[in-house]
Amino acid sequence: MRRANIISGIVLACFGLVMIFAIIPWQIEAGPKGMMSPSLVPTMMMVLITGLSVLLTVINWRARTKESIEDTPNPVSRAELAALVKVGALFALALGLYLWISPLFAGIALVAGALLILGERRPLVLVLMPAGFMLAIWFLFYKVLGTAIL
Amino acid sequence: MSIFTRRGFLGASIALAISATALSTAALAADDYPNKPITMLVGYGAGGQTDLIARAAAQVMSEQVGVPINVVNKPGAGGAVAARELQQADPDGYTIMFHSNTVVNSAPFIMDRVDFKPDDFEYAGMITAYQVGMATQKDAPYNNITEFVAWAKENPGFSYGALSPEARLYMEEIAKKNDLDVNIVPLQSGSEMINALLGKQVVLAFSGGIHYRYTDELKSISALTSFRHPSAPDVPTIEEEGYPIAMDSRTVVMLPKDTPRAILDTLSEALSAAQTAENFNKVAAASDIPVMYLDVDAATKEMNDTYTKNKAIIEGASAN
Amino acid sequence: MDYLIIGFQDVLNPVTLFWVASGVTLGYILGALPGLGKATGVAVAIPLTFYLTPVAALGMLIGIAKGSAAGSAVSAILLNTPGEPSSAPTALDGYPLARQGKAQKALKMGLYASVIGDFLSTIVLIGLAAPLANYALLIGPVELCAILLFSLTFIGGLSGKSMIKGLIAGAFGVFFATIGLETETFVPRMTFGMLELDDGLKLVPLAIGMLAVAEMIIQAGNLKALDAETANIADGSSKDDREISHSEWRRCIPVILRGTVIGSLIGILPGLGASVGSFLSYGATKRASKTPEKFGTGMIEGVAAAESADNAVVPSSLIPLFALGIPGSVIAALLIAAFILHGLTPGPLMFKQQPRLVADVYAAMICASFIMLFIGYSGQRIFAMIIKVPLRLIIPGVLLLCTIGAYMETGSVFSIYVMLGFTLIGFFAKKLDFSFVTFLIGFVIGPNIELTFRQSLQLLDHRFSNLLHHPIALVFIILTVLTIWWLGWSSSVANSTPKSVEPVAQPSAANQDIHKKREE
Repeated sequence: MRRANIISGIVLACFGLVMIFAIIPWQIEAGPKGMMSPSLVPTMMMVLITGLSVLLTVINWRARTKESIEDTPNPVSRAELAALVKVGALFALALGLYLWISPLFAGIALVAGALLILGERRPLVLVLMPAGFMLAIWFLFYKVLGTAIL
Repeated sequence: MSIFTRRGFLGASIALAISATALSTAALAADDYPNKPITMLVGYGAGGQTDLIARAAAQVMSEQVGVPINVVNKPGAGGAVAARELQQADPDGYTIMFHSNTVVNSAPFIMDRVDFKPDDFEYAGMITAYQVGMATQKDAPYNNITEFVAWAKENPGFSYGALSPEARLYMEEIAKKNDLDVNIVPLQSGSEMINALLGKQVVLAFSGGIHYRYTDELKSISALTSFRHPSAPDVPTIEEEGYPIAMDSRTVVMLPKDTPRAILDTLSEALSAAQTAENFNKVAAASDIPVMYLDVDAATKEMNDTYTKNKAIIEGASAN
Repeated sequence: MDYLIIGFQDVLNPVTLFWVASGVTLGYILGALPGLGKATGVAVAIPLTFYLTPVAALGMLIGIAKGSAAGSAVSAILLNTPGEPSSAPTALDGYPLARQGKAQKALKMGLYASVIGDFLSTIVLIGLAAPLANYALLIGPVELCAILLFSLTFIGGLSGKSMIKGLIAGAFGVFFATIGLETETFVPRMTFGMLELDDGLKLVPLAIGMLAVAEMIIQAGNLKALDAETANIADGSSKDDREISHSEWRRCIPVILRGTVIGSLIGILPGLGASVGSFLSYGATKRASKTPEKFGTGMIEGVAAAESADNAVVPSSLIPLFALGIPGSVIAALLIAAFILHGLTPGPLMFKQQPRLVADVYAAMICASFIMLFIGYSGQRIFAMIIKVPLRLIIPGVLLLCTIGAYMETGSVFSIYVMLGFTLIGFFAKKLDFSFVTFLIGFVIGPNIELTFRQSLQLLDHRFSNLLHHPIALVFIILTVLTIWWLGWSSSVANSTPKSVEPVAQPSAANQDIHKKREE
């Protein structure tokens, strides 16, 4: 975690500085006089974050030992990152289907796609689960509660 | 190519067939509208004043037209998000919006990124009005703006509750004209406003009409509309007291631009049934909301008139 | 009191009870499903209740609210994905307990704590609605600002292992909450021109993304390890793992009572919500415990603290509604619509004009508490079996529900984008050990503090000497100062024993196994 802390600290500190000097002035105009400035709280928070991140980096840098940097495994494993990317792509696909075809296909794609990503290969499950879920949702909203949600 | 060659004849008859179908489809569409459920967008969240009336109106209208009308809440930016979605819907009468008309006749002057104009939409009718007014505690020593101004001069630094830019505008105009020293307290919602009044945190607040639910504790001292409120006929309007800044707001049924007039008329007729519908009147009465129906033409005129009027008021106020 | 008896007579008939029970069941299920929540349920059920009698309708809607506050513990404990943001602290200790094979114990405690918190809070509502509501009016913005500052001091104990990272997360929470139109100046902050952001980021899609979807992705990345672990958990084999022992009850009773009090108080204050209640209760219990460092590894008191508070908020948030007609929470705002539609105008007049209907509603609420106990208990064994279902079948379902739940919040795809954005943030926050607890608290309390501070500035006419007119606020300010001073003093005492300021973060017990066995 030491190395991760150092890196997070640096990344967050840079993020904070970008926010304070670029994004916040760009996105938040000055308010009318006589009232607390709208950019006061956001800027304060970013200053806090930048300062604390620097502190985080410094403390972890100082306390690093050869062992703690080299032997500890990465906090984020390769499999988790892979899952993140795959699920992200799945959502992109589902959203595309929702926006261009129909919500029904998006829902089916989401469930079926997720099953495939996770390693499910039995065709029965791949067909029944999405169908079952969409049916259950349709039933819950349109029949039991009597309200259209789309 | 002459129409008398075989190809020409074929082409002409196909063209004729297509246009006949198109015409009859349009005619059919207008004739058997509606033949599937209608979606009614509401630009505020569930449970508010407008949402209640919308649901009651939807119930009445759906009985009249014979198909379900599904209310879908799409809150955001005071209704601008829902209105934008309405703009992009097909003008076939199956997507309508029930909302306060302020989204078109005052929001564009107050919010930078909203730029609706009255002819961006069609209007099928208006049904209720908002009793927008200035509210205060029942035992306050003033009963109208003039008396309030006198009191305010004796008590500089008083607190006024504002939950929107319009709310601020009114107090800023009054304060400017009379050189008052006011602290405007920001409020986030109607319930916060009621809380602030009941708890005596502020001495006056802008209300969209819900203060009439608490007649035991609160009273109105000014009607910010061009008409005196049915719930408080003795309270003068702000124009009667010398400030020509009254802005009326009503609930309106809006449709996308270029929706056929026949559809608008059907909906307008269905809406007018709300005037006599028992359930609708019960809901409106429970919230002290006056029922004032306007049909298609009257609603469109009201929209255009108030747009021009509000533009002058709001831009005039911020210019000073 | 006699009215209450009449109320019971009216309510104890099969039809009304059926509707109340269906409300509780529906709410429990909606709460248990990650993604869908009580706001969705109540809003969508309102039209359905048009066709019911007033008492049945109101009973059903309130039942949904109560049921979901209890049901949200189920997915928090079993899947580490809270069904509602307010059950996030429950997952902190509930999930480790489940991974240790003690799922049923955790579920039972969650249920009992929920029911007791809910029942006691309902009694408070019935007995004290009027006087309490009048007291609540005394709490204006100035007082609220001071109270919120004071409640921030409880958060010190919630940062997890690293105070610095906890504060960073909290600051991010406050920052993200500033996105939107500022309330006083109406200046858009960080909206990048998008109208959808004018009203700010909504808590539900954010929490769903950060807590539920991120967790599902992390579990997806550790599928083999988690499934192997699950196979090894001999769930419920020993009676001790299934039931709650006497000593645990003894430890938890004061926790539950404390949680109920905190939840009830938070519920009366407008605008805070159940999440604040459960977080504060968890923090307070952790601080009062003799072994605070064990929280997060499976302390049953954590589950009791969070669940009793989050359920206690529901009835007490109805106090301002019943007594004054002012909705203090999202649920109350939705219920106002239902009340009016069914002929009850909430407010002080309600007791005078319709005392019988009020008594009926009270009776229905008490019945709902008991029904909740029954439903939750009957479902125990079924729920505990969920842990045996292979993760690869659960994750897709959860992903779909979360997407729908996020969508329901504003009826537009935008909320799904928000959910996904915070999934990314939540993923890295969890893996890099930045506490989402402090983030959520910053997100919920932060804007309240800013707004009440602005309001206070105006109310006090920009002069701090006017604070003297607000004794309640002064009391809380003094309490805050004292608490900070005491905290600083006691931590400097603790630091005088040799210990590094920034320990290498120890992953919690559950994650430790994952880290050992995970695939590279």
